[in-house]
Amino acid sequence: MSRLPPVIMDNGTGYTKLGFAGNNIPSFVFPTVIATRDSAGTGTSGPAMPSKPSNLLASKRGIEDLDFFIGYEALANSKTYGLHYPIRHGQIDNWDQMERFWEQSIFKYLRCEPEDHYFLMTEPPLNAPENREQTAEIMFESFNIQGLYIAVQAVLALAASWTSNKVSGQVLTGTVIDSGDGVTHVIPVAEGYVVGSSIKHIPIAGRDITYFVQQLLRDRNETSIPPEDSLKVAERIKEQFSYVCPDIVKEFKKYDQEGDKYFEKYQGIHSVTGQPYEVDVGFERFLGPEIFFNPEIASSDFLTPLPEVVDNVIQSCPIDVRRGLYKNIVLSGGSTMFKDFGKRLQRDIKRTTDARVKRSETLSGGTLKSTPIEVNVISHKKQRYAVWFGGSMLGSTPDFYRYCHTKAEYEEHGPSICRHNYVFGSMS
Amino acid sequence: MILLDYHNVVIEETLNQPIVNLEPTVLDMTVVDFDGVAYHLSTPESKSVIKFSLIMQCYKELVQWGAQDMLQREYGPYCVPKEDGYDVTLEFDLQKLPEDKSQREELVKKLALIKRNLMAQPFERAFEQQAQFEDEKQPNPTPDLMQIHYRDQEAIYIQAQLDRVTVIFTTLFKEETDRIFGRVFLQEFVDARRRPAIQNAPQVLYSSKEPPLEIRHLPELQNTSENEDIGYVTFVLFPRHFAKGDVREKTISQIQLFRDYLHYHIKCSKAYMHSRMRARVQEFLKVLNRAKPEVPNVEKKTITGKTVIRS
Repeated sequence: MSRLPPVIMDNGTGYTKLGFAGNNIPSFVFPTVIATRDSAGTGTSGPAMPSKPSNLLASKRGIEDLDFFIGYEALANSKTYGLHYPIRHGQIDNWDQMERFWEQSIFKYLRCEPEDHYFLMTEPPLNAPENREQTAEIMFESFNIQGLYIAVQAVLALAASWTSNKVSGQVLTGTVIDSGDGVTHVIPVAEGYVVGSSIKHIPIAGRDITYFVQQLLRDRNETSIPPEDSLKVAERIKEQFSYVCPDIVKEFKKYDQEGDKYFEKYQGIHSVTGQPYEVDVGFERFLGPEIFFNPEIASSDFLTPLPEVVDNVIQSCPIDVRRGLYKNIVLSGGSTMFKDFGKRLQRDIKRTTDARVKRSETLSGGTLKSTPIEVNVISHKKQRYAVWFGGSMLGSTPDFYRYCHTKAEYEEHGPSICRHNYVFGSMS
Repeated sequence: MILLDYHNVVIEETLNQPIVNLEPTVLDMTVVDFDGVAYHLSTPESKSVIKFSLIMQCYKELVQWGAQDMLQREYGPYCVPKEDGYDVTLEFDLQKLPEDKSQREELVKKLALIKRNLMAQPFERAFEQQAQFEDEKQPNPTPDLMQIHYRDQEAIYIQAQLDRVTVIFTTLFKEETDRIFGRVFLQEFVDARRRPAIQNAPQVLYSSKEPPLEIRHLPELQNTSENEDIGYVTFVLFPRHFAKGDVREKTISQIQLFRDYLHYHIKCSKAYMHSRMRARVQEFLKVLNRAKPEVPNVEKKTITGKTVIRS
């Protein structure tokens, strides 16, 4: 039997991306949610245990543990089942549910026999090694997989950027800006290792933009939007029309002078009555993504713009990797997909660094000349599922199998072997 | 989810867009299915021509039992010479698909079932031969013992007999634990039949080590009797189980997924056991915590005469 492609599983807080190595897009993207019979919220209690062993054959036929749904099917059944989110803040919270979630993802969705495949799973930065052990235990003991590699999401996002023609060579040093629905991370990676102490989180991400757009529409009295759809409409507008502008004041002027050129119309269909309606889309086209750069327009408690956060993160890293980090700033996740997002970010960071270099030159009285710092923000086509795609790329290389921990190794050494995973490129 | 789906979800979802909605897309995708089946969906020349290739370990054996005819019958207009390294290739030109949307939906459904349809051939054939036994006008056939080596060390044997069709699966468990779970599970089949509700289910026999009489003469099974890992599951299907029409189709769909069904449930049982174990450990931890001796308040005097209370 020819070797079957490894399975790439990226379980995120919001969405799970599943597929086979070598493909360009994940075969499945669905919410990481599981719907079970027991009521939501009780969470960790585990299945009910029979009070005493009974001899009745019928009592053995309980199949409650198979009665559950995952992904969109779970959401569809949320009326009669309780919803659980087994992953919190990127880390697996409930192993019982996660094990069952994997069970169905493998057998129902991917339709593969885990015994025939290698698996590449992902983990957030700063994941506890115990979690890696648990994952390995489940994958090897329950599913008998052939081999396992647990990769850090940020490193995979860096690997995904190799497809961009702006990147020369396969370097694993860079800053990853990962912005999904819930939270935005800025993660510096040096030679394939995450600089853990410098990671920063920003509480602004896709969902906040959606809320902000919704608020703008409400403030402007867009009465044609049915109230129950307003969040969805805001989301659509964000996805379809938003872009990042170079200068907010000039952009306002442009809109005022030649409005017809910039104003758009959103067409929707009322979800209850089926009536079509129209919404004017104006300033929110560029104001939505602007909250990354001027957070004060939307939130009152977090006020540092993204370029400044990135700069701070890099400045807090060891001095010998800083140039590499500036040179390779990689975007990943759906909320970095706005048009010209990368350009604006690059310009803003460049300004800060240039100012700093200049200041040190004047301070030294012109005796010290330093080479200007190269700032590169890389956006590429695979940005949305960058983590998954990076995994798919690495998984399709023949080298991948050497980096994996195999079942034989697991059996020899136990789950602790998966505490450490080799960095790609370190063994060649 | 007790039963597995018969069709491949990935294929259905990926092909829905181009074939049903007629939206040309660039595809280059490898998808797998149970038992080492792999598909390759691609659009090598233009966006509107989709190539669909399939590789299957037992394809050569299936051809003996009429897989080629089935392909011609079901997917005939789309068959093209096979791609390198694959066993079957179909090609779809989006401009030449049926006009009717429901027909196109049907086509996608059929493609998602292609593995099932291929595997169904030997079963169909065995059912036909059995029908000849029943039919008094026709001479009795000499039924073939059809062997399908669908995995490296596992095979299905199908043979029509006078009043029944016997289907034998060899099962091989790589893991000790799996073997035990598997044995319990298979013995449960025998027990389950005693329940009045499923009296009509086919008879299932399970034997380990010794191959059943029907296939004992095969040379490949001569030396296996020492191997503990191999088990044999025999299904005895009577004509009522493969009455023409829906019953037959359903029987075939289910029986060809038997191995995957078995392994899926072994894994589910293990997952269930694990969650029970976790719950149990938590319970024990509570007991342990209760059993911790309370730290009595000890009064101690330092050398200077101060009193220190340790709590």
